[in-house]
Amino acid sequence: MSTNVITVYDINRVRPPKAPARDDVQDPHFVPAPCQVACPVGTDAPSYIGYIWEEKFAEAFEAITATNPFSSICGRVCDAPCEPACRRTESDGPLAIRNLKRYVMDKLGNDHHLAPVKVTRKETVGIIGAGPAGLTAAQDLAEAGFEVHVYEMMDKPGGMMVWGIPGFRLPPDIIAEDMKRLFKHCPGIHLHCGVTLGKDVTLDELKQRHAAVLVTIGSWWGKPMGIPGETSKNVIDGVGFLRRINAGERPTLPEKVIVVGGGDVAMDACRAALRMPGVKDVKVVYRRGPKEIPARKEELHQAILENIEIIYNTQPVEVIDKNGAIALRCVETRMGQPGPDGRRKPETVPGSERDIDCGMVIMAVGQKAESAELDTHGLMAGDRVKTDWSSMRTEDPKVFAAGDGAFGGSTIVMAMMHGHRAAHYVKSFLDGIAEPLPYRTPYRTRRVPAAQDINWEVFPRRDQAFNGLGANPSAFPEIETTYNDVTAKEEAARCYRCDAETGSSDYSVKTREDIFVMARTPVTDIRTQAAILEKRLKPKANPFPENHHASFDDLVLLPANLSRLVIDPYRDACNTATDIAGSVKLEIPVIAAGIDGLPAEARAGLGQALATVGSAYLTREPLPHSKAPWLQLLEPGDTPNPGAVGQVYVQPKGFHAFKIAKQPGMVTGLVARSEDLEKAIPFALEHDLDVMLLDGSSGIAVEWPELKSYPDFGVLRDAMRIVRRMNREEDIDFVYFGGVRSGTDVAKLIGLGAKAGAIGLTVAMALGGEMSPSGIAFFGDRTEAERADGAASIINAMSAEASIMARCTGKTDVRNIEPEDLRSITLASSKAFGIPLAGQKRGTVIEAAE
Amino acid sequence: MATIDLSVTTVREANELLRKYGADGIDVEVLNPDARHHIGVGLTHPINVHIKGSAGYFCGGLTDGPRFHVDNNVGWGVGDNMLNGSIVVDGNASAIPGVAIRGAEVVVKGNIGSRAGQVMKAGTLLACGNASFMAGYMMYGGRLVILGNSGEKVGQDMTGGDIYVAGKIGEMGTDAMLIDLPQKERDEILAFLDKYKIPFTGTFQKIVNAGKKLRYPKTEPRRRAIPFFESFADNSYWNAKVQEDIHVKSQIGRYRIRGYGASRPMPHLSDIAFKKDIRIGAMTDPDVISKIEMKTEVGGRSGANPLKLSMPVMIAPMSYGALSKSAKLALAIASRLSGISENTGEGGMSKEQREEAHQLIYQCLAGRLGWNIHDMQKANGLEIYISQGAKPGLGGQLMAKKVTPEIARIRGIPAGIDLRSPSRHPDVLGADDLVIKVEEFREATGYRVPVSVKLGAGRVRDDIKIAWKDGFDFVELDGMQGSTGAAGNEVLEFVGIPTLSAIQEARDALTEVGGLDMPVILMGGIKDGIDTIKALALGAHAVAMGTSAIIAGGCIACLQCHAGTCVTGIATQDPEHEKRYNVPVEARNIHHFLESVRWQIAAITHAMGYSNPHQVTRDDLVALTPEAAAITRLPYHPEYRERDQGLLKAS
Repeated sequence: MSTNVITVYDINRVRPPKAPARDDVQDPHFVPAPCQVACPVGTDAPSYIGYIWEEKFAEAFEAITATNPFSSICGRVCDAPCEPACRRTESDGPLAIRNLKRYVMDKLGNDHHLAPVKVTRKETVGIIGAGPAGLTAAQDLAEAGFEVHVYEMMDKPGGMMVWGIPGFRLPPDIIAEDMKRLFKHCPGIHLHCGVTLGKDVTLDELKQRHAAVLVTIGSWWGKPMGIPGETSKNVIDGVGFLRRINAGERPTLPEKVIVVGGGDVAMDACRAALRMPGVKDVKVVYRRGPKEIPARKEELHQAILENIEIIYNTQPVEVIDKNGAIALRCVETRMGQPGPDGRRKPETVPGSERDIDCGMVIMAVGQKAESAELDTHGLMAGDRVKTDWSSMRTEDPKVFAAGDGAFGGSTIVMAMMHGHRAAHYVKSFLDGIAEPLPYRTPYRTRRVPAAQDINWEVFPRRDQAFNGLGANPSAFPEIETTYNDVTAKEEAARCYRCDAETGSSDYSVKTREDIFVMARTPVTDIRTQAAILEKRLKPKANPFPENHHASFDDLVLLPANLSRLVIDPYRDACNTATDIAGSVKLEIPVIAAGIDGLPAEARAGLGQALATVGSAYLTREPLPHSKAPWLQLLEPGDTPNPGAVGQVYVQPKGFHAFKIAKQPGMVTGLVARSEDLEKAIPFALEHDLDVMLLDGSSGIAVEWPELKSYPDFGVLRDAMRIVRRMNREEDIDFVYFGGVRSGTDVAKLIGLGAKAGAIGLTVAMALGGEMSPSGIAFFGDRTEAERADGAASIINAMSAEASIMARCTGKTDVRNIEPEDLRSITLASSKAFGIPLAGQKRGTVIEAAE
Repeated sequence: MATIDLSVTTVREANELLRKYGADGIDVEVLNPDARHHIGVGLTHPINVHIKGSAGYFCGGLTDGPRFHVDNNVGWGVGDNMLNGSIVVDGNASAIPGVAIRGAEVVVKGNIGSRAGQVMKAGTLLACGNASFMAGYMMYGGRLVILGNSGEKVGQDMTGGDIYVAGKIGEMGTDAMLIDLPQKERDEILAFLDKYKIPFTGTFQKIVNAGKKLRYPKTEPRRRAIPFFESFADNSYWNAKVQEDIHVKSQIGRYRIRGYGASRPMPHLSDIAFKKDIRIGAMTDPDVISKIEMKTEVGGRSGANPLKLSMPVMIAPMSYGALSKSAKLALAIASRLSGISENTGEGGMSKEQREEAHQLIYQCLAGRLGWNIHDMQKANGLEIYISQGAKPGLGGQLMAKKVTPEIARIRGIPAGIDLRSPSRHPDVLGADDLVIKVEEFREATGYRVPVSVKLGAGRVRDDIKIAWKDGFDFVELDGMQGSTGAAGNEVLEFVGIPTLSAIQEARDALTEVGGLDMPVILMGGIKDGIDTIKALALGAHAVAMGTSAIIAGGCIACLQCHAGTCVTGIATQDPEHEKRYNVPVEARNIHHFLESVRWQIAAITHAMGYSNPHQVTRDDLVALTPEAAAITRLPYHPEYRERDQGLLKAS
């Protein structure tokens, strides 16, 4: 693995290495999003973005800071490799992931702190250099219980974050914010400022004091250009210049300044120079083209906005003294063959020499690490600390190294990753593990739902306000302002949420990501192809394990096609009207029942709605002022109400024969549950009853009976079997109750033999009820008319659904749906409903395993 | 003037001759037509054809330019889909005269049968006598003139166009209304009558669409999808999805609409494993593809030029309309790069798509949207859509946001309507009609092009026998996991049978009737080379991939295809959104995906010790779940799951 490049679609995405704790990749519903994979420290960006939309800032803060001790700093100056990886980049621009982080940190950064961690280990660790790598390692080791001593040659911690980045991009108080949070969180970190290795302390001393030493000395010194004349006093080095600026100096510089280089230091140097007194014109000279320039796009763009000229494909060859002033002699370049680093090498164009006049040249062509002390111990290799990436060890078994000093100049977030990595190996060493498991960036998800903003597909990227130089440039006013609450939320809504499970079990997030990798892997990459295939060959979990309940969901309807004429579901008429016992007329085969728990406000709305849509209801008490037919639910011995159109008797403790008095002109019926059927049906037929409510709930007479148990669909199957056996199918009407949620459910229960379905919870929710752990809760936030509209709408929708189902099966009357139109897709449902499995040959025996 | 005598010439030969005379600009007299079907079908030159007698079904159908004159009566579907030109019938016309015409002038001197001008888009259909019921049924545009009485339900579910009735109006159709007749229009009609020398002095009543059913009254509030494991896969009955559904439906009063296919778990190819333990880890042969023969021909069983696929994979039919032009283009390019076929779906053929795809199947739907003879003749395959797995029994559904002027122009419909395509072909009411329809397509293309049928899986056992009997060259069989750009949620989830059940029923039925010579192309949730091989082993001849190819090309599976504002620029017609789709990049990605599928097919075939994926059989498979075992009658071996998850060492 390369130390500085993270690719999103490499083999690790196909075959993630074994997960350490704190990792969620074994969750079957989680694949880390590209932005998270692109982040060297694995920041759970999708979750914090989701939290921002939900306005849960403390939770967002947690997600942001979990692996990033410099979150406030990164909110402003992270080079944000997540953003180019964002899948929306290809569409209309990536999510502004970095600025969203800043938005949260600006809101909470100063006030939110992480709980302090205690020192629990006796060993101590010495760290040389308080930059991002060293301090990240310090935090991890402190969290692991070690006392950590950090030795810093400057007078404050932060390394290049403090000395390399000018205040107009990163104000000092932002750095202080992160530092304060870090040291409060880790009281076991002891910071020793003004201590230089080799001068104030030796490596041997540190090795004696501490059980392990980690060298994070950074790439502190600028490299020379290596051209004649560069020793002129008017040629200075970029990091040195930035150091002076960041120490508070504001030197007056010549009018014209040239910065050589195209990286982050060059960008900071040119923009800092522009803000110095006396400077009027700053140019950047870069030897490759605009496609190759390594500076972050935004910074480059901002430099250009500030009127800095970028001169591409130009290489300095000499600094020429012109009597106090100087000129930079340059040649033009063009791109040649790729060099060993894979980047195409610039070649000079013969005869293209020219001089660019200026008063000062700032060199920003790379940095190097230097330490005579380490060199004496044989730990340096050229301008870096000689370090093994796979163990973060130096040649000295007790000394580890990380960061820019070990692996060359990079970014803050990369340095933090090195810090995490080094801490892992240092800890393993201190735990006495000779061959530690390889370090891996943990990918966590906080399982935040996707933002529910209907405009998520439409919102463009919200850019930050850019303030430029400001009225007093050398005071370094901040160049950017973060979002306000509205824009932050809109930007957060744009997130695709690549991490979140999809709505489709067939195209789950894992399947989708497998396809994505297939689509981005050349067929010649056999290793990845093999890994993908191996993964795809792994079976999914059985979708219908033994505890899978039967459900209406696992019944399907068979469509008309060639063997049956298709009815146009959009146009051809389909009858939904029916009746109970010939006398209760229904416009749609749905009645309300099991709703005696409704509050008064909802009862009024329901009564209105049922009359509007032409439905009826079965309750103990009538609904107020409702013109809808009322079937009275009563126990044997209760008094029939003359306002009802019929009586349906229920025996909550189970059916036993009783003396039943049929009222003249009234519909009379019984409620029966599965265990009642063998007695109740013959009883009902014998007494010439009109209707039987088949109760698949926990008992229609209790409050919200459908919430108390899984529906018992067997009651419908068994009732039909009994009347068919008795050859009395036509002599009684069945109404099914228990778990009816949609018109599709109604179509199915009609197909199974019922005349109509009864809805309880479904209509309660349409009336404004909300599921809560204790049942169903209502709130006074709706008018009676709104409740009535909700109830009427759900019944109308159910009617439309039932009729579209009928038409799909080639019927123009919902009543004509029959068992032959149904198939099961699970064995549990096949059994519960008595409907064969789709595709199954009748009489098939499942072969058992040997 | 040339003469063709149908007492000695077959219709097939006659149509070849007519095309030849057409190319030479020679007028033709057809003798002894004896009411034969398909006379003149496929003619694209402006010659005069005089039919001396009566013609049968589809006289002058699928043509552009010729002028027919029929001395006597015609059978149903006269002038079917005619672009330009004219047909004058001196006698009466049977049902659906002028069906789907797109500019032609069809003049019937006598009476016309029912459903005159069904789904017509442009042109004029004139009946000098009376019309039977449902004249102008579902018409999208053009002019229907009835000098006699209109019959019942005139203008039933018309979307656009004008109907003029001089006689009595029987009964207005649903969503039709009467409006005043502008003088200018009357003059235009009189001029038209004059052109055909039809004396008339009366006036007309004008009928147009009332516009009450073209748009849904309330917009469905859009929600981003709930993770599937919180809905169907959650073993709790009143789960989050159920609650959301009830909440939304209690606001809009109708069923919900979304994109994609069935979202809940169902028995699928993933519940089947290979008997042999395939050790992919050891698979480093860089050249496994060259060791496996997987070229597959489809569609030659009745003598047409077959599709020649470099592997047993096709791109599934998806319409320009549901998808952006850019997305269709990327699919076309990828299909060419990978040597497989692309399919137009419902929305007609775009020039760019035709240029990019080397093998293109052209799909014919009930609304005949974008259908025309020229594109038929350019196609490498013709496909009659009966239904699709995502929403069998329903026609396409394209929400107003996606019916842009360009889409409307290609499809020949008014822009900005919620387009709900008809479910039923105007001219296919049963298996026998279908035979004649297939024959018409063969006539129109000189029997060179395979004709297939697309079937959503329902009563596969019965339906596929009909497909076989009707002589289709192959069947595209689509299980309920198949996706769509927009459909009612309930239909997506609950109508049809799973892909696994579909292939099993198809195989059983074709075995029963001795019809295994008719290839079945399986689709609906096919995602990779593994699924492909399993499908082949279970009886498919090839597979078609839709959703997988779309995902390979950047779709994020958000299920919001119906909204028209696709964030990736795939399922949209909004130019601002389509701009987001990078055709060359996504074409390459889809191509990579297809090549990865090819590699998988090769690697598995090779690992199983075969040289061709078509050699893999049911004997090589086991079922991992009781459901899969019951459906396929493969041996039930749940322990293979552990083996394949790497938990058990295989013996």
